[in-house]
Amino acid sequence: MSGPARRGMKDQVAIAGASTTGFVAHNLERTQASLAAEACIDVLRKCGLTAADVDGLCGSWPNVEIMQSTLGLPAITWSGNPVIPMVDHFATAAAAVHAGLCEVALVYHAAYRSAWNTSSSLKDPFRRIATPGLTDPHTGPETVAAAVGYTAWASRYMYEYGVTSEDFGLVAINGRTNAAHNPAAAMRDPMTMDDYLNSRMIRWPLRLLDMDVPVDGGDAFVITTTERARDLALPPVLINAAVLGQVQHNEEDQTVGLRHHGQQVVIDTLKRKSDFWIDDIDVYFPYDGFTPITLNWIDNAGWCKPGEAGDFLREHWDAATGRALISGHVPINPHGGSLSEGATQASGHVREAVHQLQGVAGDRQVPDARRALITAGGFFFNAQGLTLHRA
Amino acid sequence: MTVGSVSNDELVQRFPGEPITHDNAAHYRGRLHRQLLVNRCDDCGVWHAPPKPVCPECWSSSVTATQVSGNGTIFMNVFLHQGPPAPGVDYSTPYPVVTVELDEQVGLRFTATVAEASNDQIQIGKRVRLDWRERSGSPMPVFVLAGDSE
Repeated sequence: MSGPARRGMKDQVAIAGASTTGFVAHNLERTQASLAAEACIDVLRKCGLTAADVDGLCGSWPNVEIMQSTLGLPAITWSGNPVIPMVDHFATAAAAVHAGLCEVALVYHAAYRSAWNTSSSLKDPFRRIATPGLTDPHTGPETVAAAVGYTAWASRYMYEYGVTSEDFGLVAINGRTNAAHNPAAAMRDPMTMDDYLNSRMIRWPLRLLDMDVPVDGGDAFVITTTERARDLALPPVLINAAVLGQVQHNEEDQTVGLRHHGQQVVIDTLKRKSDFWIDDIDVYFPYDGFTPITLNWIDNAGWCKPGEAGDFLREHWDAATGRALISGHVPINPHGGSLSEGATQASGHVREAVHQLQGVAGDRQVPDARRALITAGGFFFNAQGLTLHRA
Repeated sequence: MTVGSVSNDELVQRFPGEPITHDNAAHYRGRLHRQLLVNRCDDCGVWHAPPKPVCPECWSSSVTATQVSGNGTIFMNVFLHQGPPAPGVDYSTPYPVVTVELDEQVGLRFTATVAEASNDQIQIGKRVRLDWRERSGSPMPVFVLAGDSE
């Protein structure tokens, strides 16, 4: 560290209220969510706030998607589950408020007698299930939670818009074509539509090539003040806006619809907070953990009408190279995305955006790239957005 | 807990592997009686799933696991060509899993398999009704296709 202490947040953020359920040294017939909800509802009422006033959520346990759904918070633009002790949560939430990621952050913690704490907890069958690593549930196939969620919503996408698997295939082919120019990518062999359609069906309607590829590898980033970054070796890439969007009904099978989930919060927030939007960008990074996520990002970002993302890719397809180039010059996931570079949970998308904006993207370099849009994550509880630009 | 209902320990033993909590235990107790129970707010009347400790709409802590008819419409469908091991599930025929929008409330859904239908009959928009099958000695809710007249 160097220079004068940075104290930009000093006196700029406050704690407006605090509530407790009280504590008992025996096992209640309640869940951790129940305890956290009681305290959350009480503090919001004491402050004269409603669910709609809360746009930031930060806690230990249960995780934020469970708490948003439990409290019915309609939409939030920031959330976090930092690790305990709790000063981490207060510091992070305060920074989020100060930075403008949210305005009203609800911070919570629920202490809970885990099965390993006491012998009476160990005898409680529900606490044994609730204690991670002890008797982790193994549910049967009758669910669309977790990895099956996007497959279920893919069926809904096909039903609502009358599109076929080829629309998903275009996303996979675009990624693979781009990955051929990325030495960091795991999957670089060319892919045809026949290759895609002939790949193994895993969960109809999605195939093996609709899913990102598990990989080993890492990405790392340095984040500092813009002022300090200007003195460093590489051109600074500025964070123009960031959002972690989430809506009520965030469980996979309860999500309201294709036009009402976390992606809409991300798009609406970026349009309000960012200095530039899709007509101004040089490179686009929609998340592609599953191909239908990408089509929905393209629809929801407003590149085209709902359900027309496949047609949009066809319209902007560069037949000579076998990939999409929006308006002939904006590539989509030029590193190959999670589908072909590897499943990085979007660190690859952000790293490639930084490299493009720093002009160090090698064979994949977009000439004079100045602005990038990253729409990361999926629908339910991890839709995220970032606009980056070169200073 | 009502008199005569199974203990928490027995409940967990009857549904091995299921993520049973204090918030959803009533739902699983209902399964033992072949009743599909969904939480409903005693104060505002709104249904919500999966079970939550408070009403997400009005923050009432008075919510009751309440029987639904089990009639509804297929909202999403998948066919698993592979999946977790489960008694009686043979993925050599892709295993159907559907999310059904229940008649009780717009957007209220329940996910289960569809029994006694060929996969090409299982389509979004089809009407279904609730039925029960046995898994590991305990009742499991399933859907069956309802007649076109419904």
